[in-house]
Amino acid sequence: MLRAPFVHAVFVMALWFGLGWAVPAQAQTAATEPLVFSVVIKDGRILPARLEVPAGRKLKLAVKNEGPGPSEFENLSLRVEKVLAPGASSFLVIHPLKPGTYRFIDEFHPTTAEMLLIAQ
Amino acid sequence: MLNALIVVFRESLEAMLVIGVLLAWIARQPEPATLMRGLWLGVAAGIALALALGFATFAAQSQLAGEALEKFQVGMVLFAAALIVQMVLWMHRHGRHMKQELEAQAGRAVGALGIGAVAALAVAREGAETVIFLYGLGLESGGGDRAALLAAGLAGFALAAATGALVARGARFLSYRTLFAASEILLLVIASSLLTAGVDRMIGLDWLPPLLDPVWDSSALLDDGSGAGRLLADFAGYRARPSASLLIAYAAFWAYALWRLGRSASTAAH
Repeated sequence: MLRAPFVHAVFVMALWFGLGWAVPAQAQTAATEPLVFSVVIKDGRILPARLEVPAGRKLKLAVKNEGPGPSEFENLSLRVEKVLAPGASSFLVIHPLKPGTYRFIDEFHPTTAEMLLIAQ
Repeated sequence: MLNALIVVFRESLEAMLVIGVLLAWIARQPEPATLMRGLWLGVAAGIALALALGFATFAAQSQLAGEALEKFQVGMVLFAAALIVQMVLWMHRHGRHMKQELEAQAGRAVGALGIGAVAALAVAREGAETVIFLYGLGLESGGGDRAALLAAGLAGFALAAATGALVARGARFLSYRTLFAASEILLLVIASSLLTAGVDRMIGLDWLPPLLDPVWDSSALLDDGSGAGRLLADFAGYRARPSASLLIAYAAFWAYALWRLGRSASTAAH
């Protein structure tokens, strides 16, 4: 019982990392340097409110929370979320998107904070 | 303030579901006292871990510290998923012999430890976000608002407790036997949702390629961002637009869990 969870954990880890390495060719083509866009969260708002990006390219959103409170930057349909303390910054990788509009929110400030990511 | 209520409500309800399933299982055991103590100690440890994680998030200002924290959280959800599978296999393996097993002190200790660890991880995962949110809002607001915030948080928690009690009461119409049988599957479902959360996080960190993304789009049928779809997403790992990596992980998880369950059932029969 004590050893078995570790065996499982190792199995699970090995599976995911194995998955990651098993498909290097495809990963490489998709991994052509991501386009970086910066996003700032400030006073319960996400800036820019509208971000136009090319569809079909890998993106990297560099997110910085300038406060004053914490924020949870997320898009439910893309299944990405990032909890940021005030002053903290991080990044989110968004894999190639189909053309369309993706609405990001700050779940801690749902009434004021919104960013539309427009892939075209 | 309504937002505080909603966040606390949602996070506590999720943790309560895990605790409820474990309680349903414990209630059927011959010597529930030790297991019960393990559960509540686990819940207490989970609250402590949630507080620690919440404050670590505030402390982690640099990109490097943030990344370390992120890795820890991915590790935590995957470990929790593996631990739950292990727990279920243990419950299942001992099935019939559980009575003797739990009458022996060593058996009870193992059970209590496993149950405590699962409860701790479930509470820590749900609680950390609540801590960050409430603490942050508390910093943002003045004295009077802080009291209102606390009240909203408590109201959210009370509502979650009431909902949990209602669900438990409703479930009582099913027999205990059914509940007991369902507890194993429910725990596996919860583990699968932890796994999908971990995989999504790893894709967002670019540790895992999504491969084909999305494989399908069923958001028109059942949106995973709101209502019943959101509930299914949180509890069972439902995704309206799943990536191929996620589907592979999900399929591998269930194949592995069911294979091990089947195997342990057949060895138990010998």
